[in-house]
Amino acid sequence: MTNPKRPKIAALISEYRRYSHGQNIVDRFLGGYGWESRWHHPEMDVVSLYVDQFPESDLSRERVERYPDLTMYPTIAEALTQGGSQLAVDGVLLIAEHGDYPKNEKGQTLYPRYEFFQEMVEVFRSSGKSVPVFCDKHLSYDWDKALEMVETSRELGFPFMAGSSLPVCRRIPSIDLPWKAEVEEIVSVGVGGIDGYDIHSLEAMQCLAERRRGGETGVVSLQAWRGDRIWEALSAGSWEDGGFDPTLFEACLCRSLSLKPADESNRHTYPEPEELPQLVGSPPVAYRFEYADGLRATMILVEGLVQDITVAARLKDQPDPLSLLCYLGGGHDMQPNFFNPLCHHLEHLIANGQPPYPIERTLLTTGLTAAGVESLWQDQKLLDTPHLAINYQVGVESTFRRT
Amino acid sequence: MSAQKRKKLALITTIWGWRNHANHMGERFLNGYPLNGKWHRPEMDIAGVYVAQRPEGDLTQKRADKHGFEIYPTIAEALRLGTDKIGVDAVLLIAEHGEYPNNEKGQKLYPRYEFFEQIVDVFKQDGRAVPVFNDKHLSYSFEKAQRMVAASKELQFPFLAGSSLPVTFRIPPLELPLGCDIEDALMIGVGGSDAMDYHALESMQCMVERRRGGETGVRAVQLIDGDEVWRAGQDGRWSRRLLEGALARSDSRSGIALTDGRPQDLAHSDELEELVENPAAYFIEYNDGFRATLLMLNGAVKDSTFAAKLKGVPEVQSMQFLCPGQPNVVYSACLMNKVEEMIVSGQAPYPVERTLLVSGTLERCLESRLNDHRRLETPELNVSYQAPEASHFCGALE
Repeated sequence: MTNPKRPKIAALISEYRRYSHGQNIVDRFLGGYGWESRWHHPEMDVVSLYVDQFPESDLSRERVERYPDLTMYPTIAEALTQGGSQLAVDGVLLIAEHGDYPKNEKGQTLYPRYEFFQEMVEVFRSSGKSVPVFCDKHLSYDWDKALEMVETSRELGFPFMAGSSLPVCRRIPSIDLPWKAEVEEIVSVGVGGIDGYDIHSLEAMQCLAERRRGGETGVVSLQAWRGDRIWEALSAGSWEDGGFDPTLFEACLCRSLSLKPADESNRHTYPEPEELPQLVGSPPVAYRFEYADGLRATMILVEGLVQDITVAARLKDQPDPLSLLCYLGGGHDMQPNFFNPLCHHLEHLIANGQPPYPIERTLLTTGLTAAGVESLWQDQKLLDTPHLAINYQVGVESTFRRT
Repeated sequence: MSAQKRKKLALITTIWGWRNHANHMGERFLNGYPLNGKWHRPEMDIAGVYVAQRPEGDLTQKRADKHGFEIYPTIAEALRLGTDKIGVDAVLLIAEHGEYPNNEKGQKLYPRYEFFEQIVDVFKQDGRAVPVFNDKHLSYSFEKAQRMVAASKELQFPFLAGSSLPVTFRIPPLELPLGCDIEDALMIGVGGSDAMDYHALESMQCMVERRRGGETGVRAVQLIDGDEVWRAGQDGRWSRRLLEGALARSDSRSGIALTDGRPQDLAHSDELEELVENPAAYFIEYNDGFRATLLMLNGAVKDSTFAAKLKGVPEVQSMQFLCPGQPNVVYSACLMNKVEEMIVSGQAPYPVERTLLVSGTLERCLESRLNDHRRLETPELNVSYQAPEASHFCGALE
């Protein structure tokens, strides 16, 4: 039997199969995970599960059999009330990444985060009570839905945390942007495609950028590029000349642990500019955007050239850029243990009702992702983004995995 | 710096092919390497090369054509660059890989000592000795390794050796405080004997050498394998608490973690014994009474982790020696950065005695295995040295 004093959690999952986000997060609550020098068992229990889709590789039914205190419910409302009429859990994990969902004409997968959220808040409203909520990855593919989710959390007054594991994973080197530093330009070089991995890179950048002097001021405009325009922007030599700072790009490649050699028979070489296009597997994508306080940012996805995510920032009056790798592991049949620090923060959220960082970060990165996809959809048009005038402040304390 | 002032290197190697150590290590001096967020190009060039074996797939000529160094038929000529006097400013001795016989202990008889002797002969004949880097252990033979270190002292040239694991990235970036009291230490290693156990032993050594009083040498060793390893754990000969600490740092568990994704507490499940193919425990007893254990756990994990209990510190200290994968294997760039540091400064950043002690410790462990897994007293391993105060691993925080 679960200890009645331990917090109870409901997990709302799109799909529970090996290495889906739902499996990775919920299994860490059920069976523990490596943390510092111990196998850590969270002091709380996932007691109810709602799963939306059951592919052949589903593991949720197996987990319900394995863990007697875990019950599967056919609806979100029943999962939250444990089959009763009132909210009966102390925290909610909303994990709607992976699964077979339709795509829209812009290429976005219509994961039902907003829909799950709406069903959840109906229970909150009818129970007259709310509990802390985590929404995995971005809030929604759609800006209006994301904004409504955040506004609802404010209205009902529940602690709301969202986002990718990139902001909390290990870094190599294990450093943060100095708090209140003056940042002039920031670049990330990452992997994957739009509406999936862009959000990860954007979160990796934003968790650094938001520490700058004056705090977060929001983004005023964004333009997305696809293909050779990115290499032209690199050779332009600077933001002023229509590109981005090539020294930041180089710093990113030099933090990568997976830079592809141009000559397959060679060891580890730094690519010549003319070699770059052939090293990228699919057409590269960039989102180039400007913050309200003048900070300039370019997120670049170059699947194939690298297989990891790096960020570099030029700080005022500093001779060398600050640069780091967001360490996710990779290769060698490695476990996605970047979920460990995410779970660590989730435990704190549920136990103490305090998100480790403001939901506004994820609202902004959700909006940037949607704006990037929109710009590509509108033939790489420069878009004004007055709706992204999002202000927030973070504290001095770092929240990535340092220990 | 003008071309005349750039330092010249000799690369003396057993074999130069794709993904072997000459390719991993030596080519950093041809292509440069990533360092602190920049592509770093050393102010030095490989000028003379000797390669003992050149089977199909040999890259020597291809690299010579691109980078303009000379290939010589002997080690002496490679050091003298075809003249009658030593013409290089440093020597890279990379004798890992290639076709060489094994001895009865299971050691591959790489000709490190034999190459080194020829290098030293040139130093002596020409009246000038230059810094030498010896990749990995000094020799399969402790006696030969001792002679190598003695020659470096006699001729007073900077001598750096060893594995890249002590200088690779650590997650987290843990360094034990210099002069700490270590109560117990445990290393988990993977891979085959006389190749990968060397890396694991040196990884453990670079941590425990920082204990109070400095390194005092090894007085006895024992290597056991098979189910004896698990029984030894039950008998308290190695610490399950430290096993938990080290395994908590692993990102590459096999078994259930792979088949259905569940993170698995291997330190407290029967799965560990099922997964490990042929466990081995290397028990190292030091002259100051300190003891440390290496467990080779092939089949259960694929990474190298370490845990230690310090006196007065309640929490176990632990970390992973991160070895980023092919084709970049950036750990080898971390090591070549230390070699470059020695060549530029004329001082080895950490003592060659570390590598000497670990070379001898491994050899004696393999003798224990050959001698019915008996504990062997090792008075000859009385190698004392003091670890450097500075951390030398990649990504170490200031």
